[in-house]
Amino acid sequence: MSTASILVSVASFVLGALLALLTIPVLVWLERRIASLVQDRLGPNRTNVFGFRLGGVVQSFADVVKLLLKEEYYPGHIKMGRWLFMLAPVITFSAALLAFMAIPFADTLQIDGEALRVQALPIDFGVLWYLAIGAIGVLGVIFGGWLSHNKYALLGAARAGSMVVSYELPLGLSILSFIITYNTIDFNAMVQWQSGTFFGFLPAWGILVQPLASIVLIVALFAETNRNPFTVAEGESEIVAGYMTEHTAMKFAMYFMGEYVAMNTASAVIITVIFGGYQIPWVSTEMMLENFSAFAVVMMVSVPVIVGLLIKWMRKNNTVRPTVSTDGGRNFETKVLTIALLSMTALIEVILLYLVFVADSALANSITVMLFQIVVFVVKLMMFNIFFILIRWTVPRFRYDQVQHLGWYYLLPLSLLNLFITAIIVVGVNP
Amino acid sequence: MKQNITVIPRHGSSFKDKLFLPAIYDGVKVTFKHLFDNVTDINAVDTLEYPEEQPTDITDRYRGLHRLTHRADDTVACVACFMCATACPANCIFIEATEREDGDDEKMPKSFFIDTLECVFCGYCVEACPCDAIRMDTGIFSLTGNSREDFVLNKEQLLANKGAFGEEISCARG
Repeated sequence: MSTASILVSVASFVLGALLALLTIPVLVWLERRIASLVQDRLGPNRTNVFGFRLGGVVQSFADVVKLLLKEEYYPGHIKMGRWLFMLAPVITFSAALLAFMAIPFADTLQIDGEALRVQALPIDFGVLWYLAIGAIGVLGVIFGGWLSHNKYALLGAARAGSMVVSYELPLGLSILSFIITYNTIDFNAMVQWQSGTFFGFLPAWGILVQPLASIVLIVALFAETNRNPFTVAEGESEIVAGYMTEHTAMKFAMYFMGEYVAMNTASAVIITVIFGGYQIPWVSTEMMLENFSAFAVVMMVSVPVIVGLLIKWMRKNNTVRPTVSTDGGRNFETKVLTIALLSMTALIEVILLYLVFVADSALANSITVMLFQIVVFVVKLMMFNIFFILIRWTVPRFRYDQVQHLGWYYLLPLSLLNLFITAIIVVGVNP
Repeated sequence: MKQNITVIPRHGSSFKDKLFLPAIYDGVKVTFKHLFDNVTDINAVDTLEYPEEQPTDITDRYRGLHRLTHRADDTVACVACFMCATACPANCIFIEATEREDGDDEKMPKSFFIDTLECVFCGYCVEACPCDAIRMDTGIFSLTGNSREDFVLNKEQLLANKGAFGEEISCARG
């Protein structure tokens, strides 16, 4: 192993862990802020560290401190298997975390003839890894619900188990359609396939090539991650908190965070399989590397425009109404963030100028393209997470039997039909 | 009786309804519009930024924190008749009576406690008072403290509360 390969694998592992773990507080905050903005409220916007509130995201860290300091309570009736009762949330959390690790954040780096994957786990069977590890998460739910010796928890666990049984099938079958279409089980190869065009002008994204399988995939993943409109395992109005009724403090927080990691993983899988992953439409990695000067010029123009719009938005919205007596340090925060953003933009411009006019190294170019792809990936990931959240605050819940009905009577036949058609077309086109 | 029968049209059986997706699209359109409008202009969100902004719409009939009124000569208007304590459904008024020495009246409260943690702010004490001595017109809607004892208001505290609406002194006593 060369130094470069060790560096790249360590960097991608750190990136994967950060993307999975640091998005939890952001997602919890986004959920609360988007819920309130949809309902014409403000949401948490006060917590700050030295006047820096970043729109209120600091609130999530205060919540973590609160959950850590809460009383550790064990129900007295749990005699045997307390270790498993404690381990159950960890199983759910780590399964969701591990499933995320197979997602590629950028295209394979070519350094000195070595192909280095920008993936936390450099494996070429990512789809199988995701399906295998992602389904383990429900074991933690079942253990936790069963060992609680609580009717609500048991019902929640039973529902979670049956949900996985009924929705793994359409999920697996729709992913199978994608595997047949892309002819690979490697997430990275799937993204590369999608960087081409379809009918000559459309980007060859999964949602355009396989619309039916895409819808089944999205619906099945909403159900798998227990998000609205399929919150049956912890239906508040029916079975209290479901499987986590008896879990307190950090044990509850592990389940809670596991849900958000699972949602993040589901978003990552959806964008990787059907929304072109880290690619922007019509542009493949090779195109960016071959026309690096053009890419750099476009970046040099678009980065200041985007940052300028962001600063304009921040100066307008990081304020209070004139009727409010104090702005709570928002003005100062805006100033500091504006300076930070402007200097960051200047730094990017200088680096791009240096890369185009002074240095002419293929390695530096490919690293720049990789960083750009990572940014595109994160932006897409966050956009899909916001879609997840928006759906939660739009759609009412399904009843439990309706969820099962939808899964068995509609999604399963639809995904089977789609698989059948896909197979016929693929065999017909490439005999 | 035929004209009394209304047939309610049933929804949800058409193909479009069973598909769910058009309805979800319509719903997302509404919620996204709210989200987009509020994200692009956060100060247009019609909320009160309490506590920096205080409510301005408290009417003069609002039942706020209690106060004991004064007479024109600045003495306590209460005659310790126990009407309010008797009317109180929460049993939160505790009065101890004593003889009044200045000749205005025969009795006055030696101590007058209102446990605001017990109080249900029904206003029956105000209705029951024959001397217009207790009122709830201070407009104070939030009382804060560090211990339970802070919420038991004594006579001096109640006399110190100022009325926000209407007369400052008791209308029953000169």
